[in-house]
Amino acid sequence: MKKQYFLVLLLIAFTFLLIPACKKKNKEVVNVFNWAEYISEDILENFEKETGIQVIYSTYDSNEAMYSKVKLLDGLGYDLLFPSNYYIGKMINDGLLLPIDLSKLPNLNEVDKALLNQSYDKGNKYSVPFMWGITGIAVNSKFINPDNVTSWSDLWNEEYKGKVIVQNDIREVFHIGLAKLGYSGNSTDPKEIEEAYNELVKLYPSIRLFNSDSPKVPLLNEEVYIGLVWGGEVFMAAKENPDIKFVYPKEGAIGWGDSYVIPAKAENVDNAYKLINYLLRPDISARISEEYGYSSPSLKSKEFLPTDIAESVILYPPQEEINKIEFQNDVFESIVVYEKFWEKLKTGN
Amino acid sequence: MKERNFFNVVTIAIIALWLLIFAFIPNIMMFVISFFERSDTEFFKVAFTLDNYKSFFSSLYFQVLFNSFKMATITTVIVLLIGYPFAYMLARSNFKYKSLLAILVIIPYWTSALIRTYAIKVLLTTNGIINTVLETVGIIDAPLNLLYTEGAVILGLVYTLLPFMILPLYATIDKLDVRYIEAAGDLGASKFKVFTYIIIPLTVPGIIAGCLLVFLPSLGLFYIPDILGGAKNLLIGNLIKDQFLLARNWPFGSAVSNLLMIIMAFMLFAYYKSAKKINSKVL
Repeated sequence: MKKQYFLVLLLIAFTFLLIPACKKKNKEVVNVFNWAEYISEDILENFEKETGIQVIYSTYDSNEAMYSKVKLLDGLGYDLLFPSNYYIGKMINDGLLLPIDLSKLPNLNEVDKALLNQSYDKGNKYSVPFMWGITGIAVNSKFINPDNVTSWSDLWNEEYKGKVIVQNDIREVFHIGLAKLGYSGNSTDPKEIEEAYNELVKLYPSIRLFNSDSPKVPLLNEEVYIGLVWGGEVFMAAKENPDIKFVYPKEGAIGWGDSYVIPAKAENVDNAYKLINYLLRPDISARISEEYGYSSPSLKSKEFLPTDIAESVILYPPQEEINKIEFQNDVFESIVVYEKFWEKLKTGN
Repeated sequence: MKERNFFNVVTIAIIALWLLIFAFIPNIMMFVISFFERSDTEFFKVAFTLDNYKSFFSSLYFQVLFNSFKMATITTVIVLLIGYPFAYMLARSNFKYKSLLAILVIIPYWTSALIRTYAIKVLLTTNGIINTVLETVGIIDAPLNLLYTEGAVILGLVYTLLPFMILPLYATIDKLDVRYIEAAGDLGASKFKVFTYIIIPLTVPGIIAGCLLVFLPSLGLFYIPDILGGAKNLLIGNLIKDQFLLARNWPFGSAVSNLLMIIMAFMLFAYYKSAKKINSKVL
């Protein structure tokens, strides 16, 4: 009898022991909630060494998952988040974010001015760019002459039937439908979205697959010849197979980015500023860019990058292309309209 | 005796508490939320409505449901056709290596299902193993489009769910009383008749259990159509996922998920009824 009581007691005691172990309060900390595979561990360890601030790191794999958690806890428990830019508007509206004091971020001076003051957060009151990138057209020049591809509407070409890949992303797919018709990729007008849907219905039979996880694989396997693909993936694919080219559509590439934001109820705000400033440092930003294939917003970081990356027109677009990029923005409640047509598109029209 | 009672109570209490907190309460929450309205700023608005259920019965979502059921049915039939002979051999033959076979069924399941799905992808790609072999041998001239088709999705589902058919079938066939078969043989029944009149009816509970264990998960495994089918078709699992993660429509997502659960509960009930009927007949 004693043995069993003892076991149960031991189990209970053990559970209680675990609780205080999770709460070490005597040390300076910063609670970071970031996308998985975005900042490597040695970069964070280096920060801990330089500042003595311990980084408590957890990850998410979608904006929605991050948003739900932050919203449920009312922003409590985290000091630094990295939402996609089109999510920032919603978070500002919900009152989840703390205004950012830009004067606390000296390394912001190195950041490309073209990436600041974007429509999702005019004047960068709540956010500072972390990493960014573009989505354009990937072409395998072995099968298709890249000179014949100049616009999103070329994806509709009957010749490429069954050989087209597109991102498995509702916003990006509708972006090309909208841009083909001359509308903004951030349209919130249900009529425009429906027209774009009608265009996408015509594209659907050409699409071999939707893929956002690793579109370079079907490109390299020659499963598809052309498509709407994220720049970093095309860059990596081109390294393995130089036949794969990136084309800037004349309507302008789709721009996306993730930004630093501080939740309204953050408890270690100063430490969050220190971490942002550290990550904005050109050498650190360059390391993240090199490791994961995203573009650093810091102009000076190019000095720290290998030449093939720094001079890549995919990862660091030329100025005239940057000016044409349309950055993704929040469409707020119109997402329901997008979702409805997305479902229709994928249910065989 | 008393101590054992105490220990039983504690272990059961822990499991019951676990299920209460992590299964029952979330389900009740989903049930309640499914009657609320969608909200622009919050996860849901507390206002009673039946619209979430009504909107599911539109042609669009019926199409989603139909596609999902079609895929699940095809998968179940194929799995049954492969699984039954296999389980039968495993349970009844004198084959020397049959325990090895049983282990071979289980071993792949020590690896993550996601990794196994990616492995199938490697086999099926344009310049993958199957196409390369067929081309070298000279059976085909140009690579076949194997990946990102409905066939690829069904192959993935069949492969992933096969053990869920084999194991319950093995259990029932193994328990089969040999005397019935011997008696039938003594009375002059042919092998085929023994199989259709004796063996199949006696293993019906295993067949139904296996079919349920295959059919129900194949409605929900959204990553297989995503990876092997190129995410071109919306299945019911994808629909629920998108409602929560994309459209931020928790009430509708909950309603769809509840409807799916009701369908499953109905099937389980049918299973329970039929199993009972069969057992009473046997006895």
